[in-house]
Amino acid sequence: MKTIAVIFGGRSAEHDVSIITAHIPIIDSLLAIGEFDVWPVYITKEGKWYSDKKMNDLSYFKQTDYEERLARGKPVQLSFDGGLSLVWPGIFSKSVKVDVAFPAMHGTYGEDGSLQGVLRMAGVPFAGCDIFASAVAMDKVLTKQVVAAEGIPVVPYAWFTREQWANEQDEVREAISKLGYPVFVKPVHLGSSIGIAKAGDETRLLQAIEVALHYDEKVLVEKAVENLTEITLPLMGNEDVKPALPERPLNKTDFFNFDDKYLSGGKSAKGGRASVGKGGVNNAYSEVPANIGEEMTKRVIDLGTRVYRALGCEGTARVDFLIDSVSDTIYVNEVNTLPGSLYHHNWRKAGVSNIELVTKLVRLAEERFASQKTTTFAFASDILQKVGGPKTQK
Amino acid sequence: MIKKLISRYRPRLVRSLVYMLQASEYNIRDYLAWVYRTRDFAHVEKRGHLERTPKVLALLSASWSFLVIWAAGLMGYAVFTDSNAMRIALVAALLLLPLYFPYVLALIVLLMQAAQKPVEYALVARAKRTLRAHKGVRIAIAGSYGKTSMREILKTVLAEGKKVAAPPGSYNTPLGIARFVKTLTGKEDVIIFELGEYYPGDVRALAHIVRPDWGIITGINEAHLDKFKTLERTADTIFELAEFVEPSHLYVNGENELARVHSKSGNVVYQREGAGAWGIDDAKTVLSGTTFKLTKRDDGSCDAASGLLGLHMLGPLALASDIASKLGLSNEEVVRGIAKTKPFAHRLEPKDWGDGVTFLDDSYNGNPDGVKAVIDFLASLKSHRRWYVTPGLVEMGARTEEVHRAIGRQLAEAGIERIVLIRDSVTPYIEKGLHEAGYKGVVTWYDDMPQALQAIRHGTAAGDIVLIQNDWPDQYS
Repeated sequence: MKTIAVIFGGRSAEHDVSIITAHIPIIDSLLAIGEFDVWPVYITKEGKWYSDKKMNDLSYFKQTDYEERLARGKPVQLSFDGGLSLVWPGIFSKSVKVDVAFPAMHGTYGEDGSLQGVLRMAGVPFAGCDIFASAVAMDKVLTKQVVAAEGIPVVPYAWFTREQWANEQDEVREAISKLGYPVFVKPVHLGSSIGIAKAGDETRLLQAIEVALHYDEKVLVEKAVENLTEITLPLMGNEDVKPALPERPLNKTDFFNFDDKYLSGGKSAKGGRASVGKGGVNNAYSEVPANIGEEMTKRVIDLGTRVYRALGCEGTARVDFLIDSVSDTIYVNEVNTLPGSLYHHNWRKAGVSNIELVTKLVRLAEERFASQKTTTFAFASDILQKVGGPKTQK
Repeated sequence: MIKKLISRYRPRLVRSLVYMLQASEYNIRDYLAWVYRTRDFAHVEKRGHLERTPKVLALLSASWSFLVIWAAGLMGYAVFTDSNAMRIALVAALLLLPLYFPYVLALIVLLMQAAQKPVEYALVARAKRTLRAHKGVRIAIAGSYGKTSMREILKTVLAEGKKVAAPPGSYNTPLGIARFVKTLTGKEDVIIFELGEYYPGDVRALAHIVRPDWGIITGINEAHLDKFKTLERTADTIFELAEFVEPSHLYVNGENELARVHSKSGNVVYQREGAGAWGIDDAKTVLSGTTFKLTKRDDGSCDAASGLLGLHMLGPLALASDIASKLGLSNEEVVRGIAKTKPFAHRLEPKDWGDGVTFLDDSYNGNPDGVKAVIDFLASLKSHRRWYVTPGLVEMGARTEEVHRAIGRQLAEAGIERIVLIRDSVTPYIEKGLHEAGYKGVVTWYDDMPQALQAIRHGTAAGDIVLIQNDWPDQYS
C-alpha cells in the first residue's frame, strides 16, 4: 500500500482554504479508493508540523479547540534519509516512510515553491507544480512578464514595491495614471482575491494601495477591462496537457472575492447544487462550461495551454483570463498553481471524477520524479584538490 | 469481541432492542432472528432512528421498570439470603441480565400484543362496518412486489375524474387497513387497498375486510420466501384475492410467469403491450420519462407520456387506463392522468447529484422481478458510465444463491461498467454470477451503504448514472 502525505495548513492567509482543499477532494478521494495509507500533515499558522490520522476527517478542524488539542500532541519531524519520512521522536519513536507527497497548501510557503523545494531536497515525488512554475506564478508581475515575453496578451499594468511607494511615489503614480481609471490594485503574492480592490479614482486608489501594501511588499496596479467577462480554466498534465472546462464566475459584485469563492457554500442557485461541504468554489457562483461560444472557448483553451507550458506547470494549474466581451479581446490575468479544492467541481463536469483527478496527479508526480532521476545533477570534479594550489584558470 | 460483549451492558441496549422491534414491525420471529445474529448492540440505528410512538414509549417504560425492579430484587435477595449457592446464582443472574433481557423484552411484546387483540378486533370490526356502508368502488392490490407503484399509478390516473382515497404508506395489515378506513369521509368514489402477505391466509383475511370490487395481482416471486418456503404457497396465498372478485374483474400481470400460470380464464392480463381495451406501441424510455402511443380498441390512438422510468411501467399504466375507462373517465382524462404519473420515492427515482451525475434511487426495490426490470432499463442507457450499487436482496430463502447469481449474470450481459457490492451474505453470489458471464467491468466492495455512497461521490463525473438497488433495513444488517 502506497503511503501518501497530504500537506496542508501553513503560514498563509489561505490557511483555512488549504484545509478544505486537503480534505475535499484529496484526502476524501484517496481514502475512498482504499488503496493508500493516507497521512494528513498539518502545518499550524505558527509553522508547527503535526500528523495524526484523526486529521483525515475534516470535522477535526471544525472543533473550536482543535488548535489546543494539537498543542497537547507531539509535533512531527521530517527525515530526508533516503527519501521523506515522518518521524515522531521520543522513547516510543515512530517513523512513516512517504511514497508520494501531496501539497495542498495555498499561498505563501505552500504554493510559492518553498514547500516544493523542501520536497525536492527530500527526494520524494510530489503532486502539482514544481518550484519554478510555483515561484513565478506566485508573483503576478513576474507571471505577466513571462507570459508577455511569449507574445501572450496581458492587461496594461504598473508595479512597485513598498520601498518604491515610500521613496518614489511620484514616479509610481505617474506610471499608474497612464493606465487610466478604473484600475485593480492587487498584492502581488496573495491568492484567493485577498487584498484586491477596484479603484475608480485617485482617492480610492490610495486607499486600495494602502490595503494592498498591508498584505504584501510588492503591489500590482492593472487597468480594469471594460465589459468584463472573467474566465478561468483548470488544466492538468506534465508534457501532455489536458484542459477542463472554461468556467465563468457569476459575480455578485465587481469581482470574484474571497467570500464568493470559499465561504458561500450551500446557497445553491436554481438548477445548481450546494457545494460539497461548506467550502470550495461551487456551481451557484459559476457557470461551467462558460457560455462564451465555441470560438472563444477554443481561444481560451489554446492560450491556457500555452501559458501552462510557458510557465513550466506540471500536475495541475488554473489559468485566469479577462475578456472584453464587446471587442472580444482576451487577456491572460494570472496563474494559480494549486487551485482551491483542485477545482474538482469543474473536472467532475468535464468527466473527471475526484478519484480520477487525485490519482492522476499522484501518477503525474511519480512520472516526473522518475524522469528527474534520469537527469544528472552532479559531476565528478577535482576542484577541491586544487583549491589553494597553483591557479589553473586560463 | 470484548467491545461487542460490553455493548450489551450499555444503557443504550434497551433503546437498540426497542428500535429493532419497531423496525421489524413488532414481528417477534424477525426480532429474535436479529438478536441471535447480532453481536454489537451499540451501533444498531444505522438506516433509521427510533420513532417515539406511544407503543415505543410504553415498551421503554416497561423495559426500564423491569430492569430496575428485577435487578433490585436480585440484589436484595442476594444480600439477605443465607445460602451461598443461592447468592452466587443471584449474582450470576444479575451479571447475565443483558444476555437474557432481549428475550424478556420479546415476552413483554407478546403479552402487549395479546392485550391489544380485543382492541384490534374492535377496530377491524368497525372498519368492516364502515366499508359495508361505503358506496365507493374498492380496488385491492396483492402481489409479492409492485403494489405501492401500482397503487400510486392508479391513484394518479383515476384522480383525473374521480375522488380517490388510498393509504399513504404500507397500510397493508388488518390494523393498518382499519386505521386507513377511519380516515375515509364516505364521499370517495374509489378506494384503493394494498393487501400484504406474510403467511398463508393473510390475503384472504384482508380481502374479507375490504370486500373488493376489482382485484389486481402484480406478480409472484421470492419475496418473503423465508416465510412461505415455496413459491407455490406464495402464489396460492396471493391468489386468495381471486375468491373475492369476478374473474373479469381480476387483473393479472402477464409479465410475471407465475402469476400468468395461476391466472384463470376470464382474468384480464396486463403487460407492456396493453391491458383490456388498451394497447401500447412505440414505447421509448429515457432518464426523463417514458413516451408511447396509447390505443383504445375501436376508439383511435394518441401519444402519451409518463414521468415513470422503464418499460416495465407500461403494463401498470395500461391497466390504470383500462380501469379508468371502465369507471367512466374519458380518454383525455386518462392521458392527462398518465402525464401526471412520476417516479415514487425510492423507486427508480432520479435525483440530481450535481455536476452532471444522475442518481437513481431504487432503494425500496428489493425483489427479483423489479431488479430485472431496472437492470433492463439501465442497460438501455448506453451513452453513460453506469454504476450499480447493491447489498443484494433479502428473504430469498432457498433460492438466495440462484437469484443473486442471475442478477450477476444479467449485470454482466448488460455491460454495466461499475458494480459496487456491499459485503454481506448474499453479494458473493452476485460476484459469482458476474464471473460466470465473463464480466469485464470493475467490481468494488464496501462494508456498508453509507461508506459506498461516500466513495462513489468521489468516483463519479458528469454523465455518470448511479443506481442504488435495494438498501437493507437495519434488521437485516
